Amino acid sequence: MTPVTTAVCVLLAPLASAALITLFLCRRPAVAAALSVAAAAFVALAGLSLALGGARFNPAWEWLRFGSFAFMIGFKFDDLAALMLSVVGVIGLCVHVYSLGYMRDDAAKARYFGGLSVFMFSMVGIVLADNLFMMFIFWELVGFSSYFLINHWRERLSASDAAKKAFIVNRVGDFGFLLGIILCYWSNGTVSLSALGPDHAGSHAVYSRLIPLLLFCGAVGKSAQLPLQVWLPDAMEGPTPVSALIHAATMVAAGIYMLCRINVLMVPQAQVVIAWVGTLTALYAALCAITQRDIKKVLAYSTVSQLGYMVAAFGLGSVGAAMFHLTTHAFFKALLFLGAGSVILGCHHEQDIFRMGGLRARMPVTFWTFTVAVAAIAGLPGLAGFFSKDAILVLAFGANRAVFAVLAFTAILTAFYMLRLWKIVFLGAPRGEPAGHAREQGIAITAPLVLLAALSAVGGYWRAYPKAFEGVLSQIPEAHGPTHAIVLAASILVLVVGAGTALAFYSTGGSDSLETRSSAVFGFLAALRSSFDRGYDYYVAKVQQRAAMILSFIDVVGLAGVVVRGLAAATESVGFGFRRLHTGRLSNYVYWFLGGVVILWAYAAGIL
Amino acid sequence: MTPSLDAYVLLSAALFAVGFLGVLVRRNTLVIYMCLELMLVAATLALVAFSRFNATEDGDVFVFFILTVAAAEVAVGLAIIVALFRARQTVQVDRLDSLRH
Repeated sequence: MTPVTTAVCVLLAPLASAALITLFLCRRPAVAAALSVAAAAFVALAGLSLALGGARFNPAWEWLRFGSFAFMIGFKFDDLAALMLSVVGVIGLCVHVYSLGYMRDDAAKARYFGGLSVFMFSMVGIVLADNLFMMFIFWELVGFSSYFLINHWRERLSASDAAKKAFIVNRVGDFGFLLGIILCYWSNGTVSLSALGPDHAGSHAVYSRLIPLLLFCGAVGKSAQLPLQVWLPDAMEGPTPVSALIHAATMVAAGIYMLCRINVLMVPQAQVVIAWVGTLTALYAALCAITQRDIKKVLAYSTVSQLGYMVAAFGLGSVGAAMFHLTTHAFFKALLFLGAGSVILGCHHEQDIFRMGGLRARMPVTFWTFTVAVAAIAGLPGLAGFFSKDAILVLAFGANRAVFAVLAFTAILTAFYMLRLWKIVFLGAPRGEPAGHAREQGIAITAPLVLLAALSAVGGYWRAYPKAFEGVLSQIPEAHGPTHAIVLAASILVLVVGAGTALAFYSTGGSDSLETRSSAVFGFLAALRSSFDRGYDYYVAKVQQRAAMILSFIDVVGLAGVVVRGLAAATESVGFGFRRLHTGRLSNYVYWFLGGVVILWAYAAGIL
Repeated sequence: MTPSLDAYVLLSAALFAVGFLGVLVRRNTLVIYMCLELMLVAATLALVAFSRFNATEDGDVFVFFILTVAAAEVAVGLAIIVALFRARQTVQVDRLDSLRH
């Protein structure tokens, strides 16, 4: 098969799987699961073979034509797409295999695997997309898959609400994204990623700043940046493998990927905004994570924070640093979520960390793999997260010292809350019945954990990556001389301070030490976390609702009443007038006849 | 003395006007019918006068057509009036107004 054909098959295999599951396999969950896993395996293996085999191509086919405007469907398979496809494939396969174990006893297993297949199709579409319109289509499809999978346990009102929230908040971002695409087409004449070039960026004073910022709105929505980050913690209502795949490793990373794709359109003014949005998001989410009790919510805020790092790295000017952190983050965050899922299953669907504890002895594989992931995200030298975070800090140190300071402080917080989580979940004595009886959950669950732990450990040595990804990874910033020493010292200091403080401060009792010892700080952080939700609530309940009531009044009284029924009444009165002519008397009719004759005569005589 | 063409045409117009006025004003359906016939005859008279004064026979031929048509029309019309009387027991036009709104 030619590379282009392989790429088409990679795109369509999950779609075929989803279609077959929907049409025929709803009552055969085991077959549906096997089919979906097979499709994911195909995507992973074929994707890796395309990426590592070095084939790079850019075909395009015309799909719709409206006069002079042609809507193209095409693939842009360069090093960036190769790297992203590999990540999506590998993580996707791990999650699919994990789901075989996690969703084994679920009642709607077939529907779940159908949803996973639809997601894989949509995500591969985003990765391979060659122009912004096509990317937008798959962008919306990914949003739909997310909605569908968050809402998997649809009997729960909280899950339905969370799914709606995710979709609606994404829509707000997508509105900006669509405006950006339209403006880009109008200003540059093309939305093809291959055709857009550096000269398009500076062509117009206003538009060249507006287009990247509007396109960034899409990333703000999809990658949960401030102020649209509110949907991601709620999205934890979905099953844990869904959280791992969609809301940690791949879908939320699609925003970063899209930014990297449109890098040619960036101008310094837009990049400053992007860098600060990312930085502030990282800081805010890290502050929110400190007070969480639910294991998945901690990881959700951690994801928002790390996405902020990636956005900040992009805003500071380095596609390489952003994509590198995206890759390592995918590995260790997916591992964290899958490990959390293993813990949740072991404790019989308990998600409150203060009811866990002592799992180090009872679930060793989960414990050791989770430890590797925590060490990676906290930045232990040698593991993947250290190298990628280091690259971002080096970049910030050289470009913008204020951003560097905030990101370094956020790194302290990252180590702090992750070690808090690790200590409370795994160390100490079991704090409840389920934790006391926890055990490992089987090979389907533990095998992906081990694989991802290996990748988190060695994934940072980017020089050892295959040459195939050189186009992206060669752009990773490296430090030399004093800068290198300073940043290295800062990274290690950050780790020691953050981790040490957390291990010392938090006890493995049944309550949150911060809450008990300093309720003022705890209260402040909790209020900070809920501030956005309360703000949006107020806006929707008061402002938007009242605006809707005014419009409703105008509609019912004004449009329906005055205009529509008014016109009807006017027409009716004309009708009444004409009815009076029907007297039923012959002599009246003859008089009218006479009148008509007179008029016709006058007309014929030329008088009228 | 032979009447001029003007006199014949004037007579024809007067007859036509009388007939038309009768259709307008009279209340008995049969009288209205007679006035219709009067209008027809007035038109016929005008045609014959013109043909005589132009020394052709074209207007004379019209007489046959018009009177034939008038006879047929009378036959049909009187049948309708008889049926109407049987249904409504009246032929006064001002009482036949069931098409009023």
